[in-house]
Formats: sequence, C-alpha cells, structure tokens
Amino acid sequence: MFTNMIIGRYMPGNSWIHRLDARTKLILSVAFIFVVFFANNVAGYVVAIAFTLLSILLTGLGVGVFIRGVRPLMFLMFITTLLQLFFVQTGDVLWHWAFLTITTDGVTNSIAVFVRFMLIIMFSTILTLTTQPLAVADAMESLLQPLKKVGFPVAELALMLSIALRFVPTLMDEAESIMNAQRARGVEFNEGNIISRIKAFVPLLIPLFINAIKRAIELGDAMEARGYRGGDNRTKYRVLTWQKQDTIAVIGFIVFTVLLIATKWL
Amino acid sequence: MAINFNQVGFTYQLNTPFATQGLHDVNFTMPEGKFTAVIGHTGSGKSTMVQHLDGLVIPTAGEITIAEQRIVPTTKPKELNKMRAHVGLVFQFPEAQLFEQTVLKDVMFGPKNFGKTATEAEAAAKRALRTVGMAEKYDERSPFELSGGQMRRVAIAGVLAMEPDLLILDEPTAGLDPAGQEELMTLFARLQKERHLTVVLITHQMEYVAQYADHVVVFEGGTVVKEGTPAKIFDDVAWLQEKQLDVPIAKQFADKLATKGVTLDTVLDIDALADQLAEQLGGSAHVH
Ligand SMILES: Nc1ncnc2c1ncn2[C@@H]1O[C@H](COP(=O)(O)OP(=O)(O)OP(=O)(O)O)[C@@H](O)[C@H]1O
Ligand SMILES: [Mg+2]
Repeated sequence: MFTNMIIGRYMPGNSWIHRLDARTKLILSVAFIFVVFFANNVAGYVVAIAFTLLSILLTGLGVGVFIRGVRPLMFLMFITTLLQLFFVQTGDVLWHWAFLTITTDGVTNSIAVFVRFMLIIMFSTILTLTTQPLAVADAMESLLQPLKKVGFPVAELALMLSIALRFVPTLMDEAESIMNAQRARGVEFNEGNIISRIKAFVPLLIPLFINAIKRAIELGDAMEARGYRGGDNRTKYRVLTWQKQDTIAVIGFIVFTVLLIATKWL
Repeated sequence: MAINFNQVGFTYQLNTPFATQGLHDVNFTMPEGKFTAVIGHTGSGKSTMVQHLDGLVIPTAGEITIAEQRIVPTTKPKELNKMRAHVGLVFQFPEAQLFEQTVLKDVMFGPKNFGKTATEAEAAAKRALRTVGMAEKYDERSPFELSGGQMRRVAIAGVLAMEPDLLILDEPTAGLDPAGQEELMTLFARLQKERHLTVVLITHQMEYVAQYADHVVVFEGGTVVKEGTPAKIFDDVAWLQEKQLDVPIAKQFADKLATKGVTLDTVLDIDALADQLAEQLGGSAHVH
C-alpha cells in the first residue's frame, strides 16, 4: 500500500537533472510554484506544460513514472477541481440544478486549477525523484545560511530535516509490516464504513509511534555517545558545488519565465 | 490444512520502477497436521512465502492451494478474510504488533476480530497466556512495561488465542535466551502434537529442524531448491555447506565417528545418537 508511493522517493540515476546541484533544483522547484501562475491562457499553459515535459524527459526516468506518481493525489485534485466547478459563479450559466450552478468561468477555472496542480506536483516530483533526500536537506541548510545572523537555528533545523527524511522509508516499511501483522489478527483496513476504517488504524498507529519514539531516543543516545555537537564549524562529507550546468538550468528557467509572461500579450 | 504451491511467483511492487522479485517458480507441498520447517539463507524468500499462506499478499504468478482455498493472481484480498480466521501467523519480531492498554486486551484482539464474543475471547486469551508461560499477574499490565522476551510471549499468545488450524512461525525464537528458545520450541512441538496443527516454522537453527520437523523445505534465491524429510535434507553435507546451512551437531558427530570406523544409523538428534552409542558400548539405553 505505502510502498507504491512514488512521491518523496529517490530514484538513482545519472541524468543531466540528477547531476544538477540540489540547491538549483530546490530553488527552481519553489520558483516554479509561483511562476506557473503567470499562465492564464491556452498559450501560457502550453508553454508551462512543454517546459515541464522537457524537464521530465531530461531526468531519463520516463513519463510513466511521473503519471503513476500523481495517481495517489488524484482524489485531492478531483475534489479541488469540483469545488472550483461549483463555487465560481461568474460567467454564463451552463447548467443549473437546485443550488448547484456550473458556469463557463467555473469550467475554465477548474481546468486551470487542475493543470496547475498537476504541473506543480510533477515539477516537485522531479526534485524528489532525482535528488537524494539528504542532499535536499543540505541544500536547504546552505540556502538558509543568511538566517543564522538573526539567531535562527539553521544547523539544527537541517539536522532535524535530514533525520526526518532519512526515516521516512524506514517508517513506511515498518507501517507495512505492522499492518500485515494486524491483518493476520483480523483487522480489515480499507473495508467497512468510515468509523470502522478509522478504528482500524489505531492498532497500526500506536505501535508505529511507540517504535518511532524508541528509535528517536536510541538515535539521540548514539549520536551523543559519539560526541555529536550541533552547529558551528562542522564540516560536510558531501559538499555542494555549483557548476556550469546549474547556471544553464537557471538561465533556462529564466527564459521559460519570460516566455510565460510574454504569452499574456498573445 | 494441506498447502500446495504450484509455480508460484511474487514480485514486490509489480508495475513500478521499484519492482523486485521476491519469489519465482516455487513448488512444494506441506502435509496436513505435520511440522514443516522452512530453511534458507537470509533474503531467500521465506518470509515472503509465509505471507502468502495467510493471504496477506496475493501471488503474481502461479497457484496456491490451502485446504479448500485456491489462490491465484486474480483472487481478491477480500475473499481471503474467511481463511485468515483459521491461520495464525507469528511474524518475525512480533512484539511490534502490541498496542492495547493491557496484556489481556491485546491477546483478546485477534479472537474478537474473528467474531468471538468478549467472554469467549477472554477465556481463549487467558488460556493462551498461560500456555506461553505468562503468569496471571501480568494480565492487567501494559504490554510496553514488559521485557523483550515477555513481549514476545504475549505476541505469540495473541496468535495462539485465535486457535488456528495452521500455525506459521517466522523465526519465533530469534533474539531470545537459549532457555527461552528451548521452552518455546518445546511448546510449539507439543501444541502441534496435541491439537494436530499444521505447523510451518521458519528457522535458522538446524538443531530444531532435526529435532522437530517432519518435513523440510529449502529456499534459495527466491525459489525452493530441495524438499523432503530431515534425514534426506541433512544427508548431503557438501550440498548443505554449499548453501551455507549448518549441519545438526548429532549428524556432525556421527560423521566424525564414521571416519574413525564407528558406523551408526543415520541420526539427527542428540538423544538418538546417545542411545546408539550406549548400545554399541554395551550399556543400557539412557534415560531421556
Ligand atoms: N517489502 C518489500 N519490498 C521489496 N522487496 C522486498 C520486500 N520484502 C522483502 N523483499 C525482498 O524479497 C526477497 C526475499 O525476502 P524475504 O524477507 O522473504 O527473505 P527471508 O528469507 O525471510 O530472509 P530472512 O531470513 O533474513 O528473514 C529479498 O531479496 C528482499 O530484499
Ligand atoms: Mg524473513
């Protein structure tokens, strides 16, 4: 069940995108979330889709992986789209029944929201699929350095983040095996009404939390026993380096942004 | 419950980029009401196989028959809920499944899920707890206040309380002290005899296989490479060593004696070996 999730997984590879600096990918993924809002007509969406597709192709992982990746979020996207469809009341009325009204603006808005949602998820998936989680944490630490001056605990935050990321797959595996153990004792997950479904998760969540807390305590002890002290003057095993291709990627992204803004006047 | 695997294959995360083969072309038969041991190197697919026995995973190829239930790749997990009531599966490190406030409640969880009333479940739970050697004074304790070995016993009781016909044990004694291991193994062997259970035991300890098993299935690289009585499996010492499996002590000792010219019938457990030696030396059979 959990193991079929693509989101948040790293897939090893040696593509052009894989080799980009984690900071580049992180900045561009965040920037993309904002930039995609410049698209507000067909031409704009075509440019945005084309850019996303190009980036996906450059990962060398195949489009199929990404499509399967968004599948678990389909439900969420569907709900959001429906909300748009029924809540936007401007434009010509296309269909009306009791208190439900669908308008032309509602339709265009919901299509826009759907596409945007898809693109943002796909683009973030590029980051997580091609970048080791620890590299993402390092990138975040490096980008947050300026905040250190105002007393923000950047190193501690980065440590927390990298430990959390490190344990996501472990917890997933553990959840899966506890689930199996409880199924063997007659729990039926994903069956029955909503209340019995929620109740079914209690025997999963309690052991999962208890094990997670136990593990956290053990990890803390182990780190302390080996003399870990957070913060200043720690050197890094993996050093992030900015290369020519990072500059190329950033320039490519700027060109895309300019193009996208330009579609306004089409 | 008799078990038959016919060309069974299983791939983890089929149709994803993370697909890994767990089992391929697995064929074997486990006799009903007998003690079957499953052995094999780490990562050879033993745990993957036993999850099929409880319908927790559906094979991606081939066909499994467990008593009257037939399982093929198109079988829906829901169809197997009924079968699961007759199967008890003790996972590797089963203490991870404890979650209730008290030991007794936790052991009652399984029977209740399979439709027993609270009174029936409580009675079954108490019986199971006493069977695994947990005294009454622990019944109202939190399972999280127990020692590791006690937690293991409670978890095993949680499965025994379901009173299964097919009992599957995935390395149930791993990480326990030697006395505790011995005690649990004797318990499983006794339950098997008394209740005529079909027992499937995964273990790395060949002594237990030699001592208790009626039938042995050997896994390697996701498939079954040999199947038969312990005598047959342990006969070929070179083959066992090639598969990185231990040879039972009694067999090793008998083989060493054979090189010195003392010939004995095939023996796998220490008591039988001692009896034969005593006889050859002209003494009386020793008292067990
Ligand atoms: N959840 C999973 N997802 C993907 N692959 C898995 C999963 N569980 C097991 N495998 C793989 O399937 C193969 C068989 O594993 P399995 O756990 O059945 O071995 P095992 O014989 O029980 O080993 P051990 O003696 O160490 O318990 C291994 O190669 C393992 O990496
Ligand atoms: Mg195993």
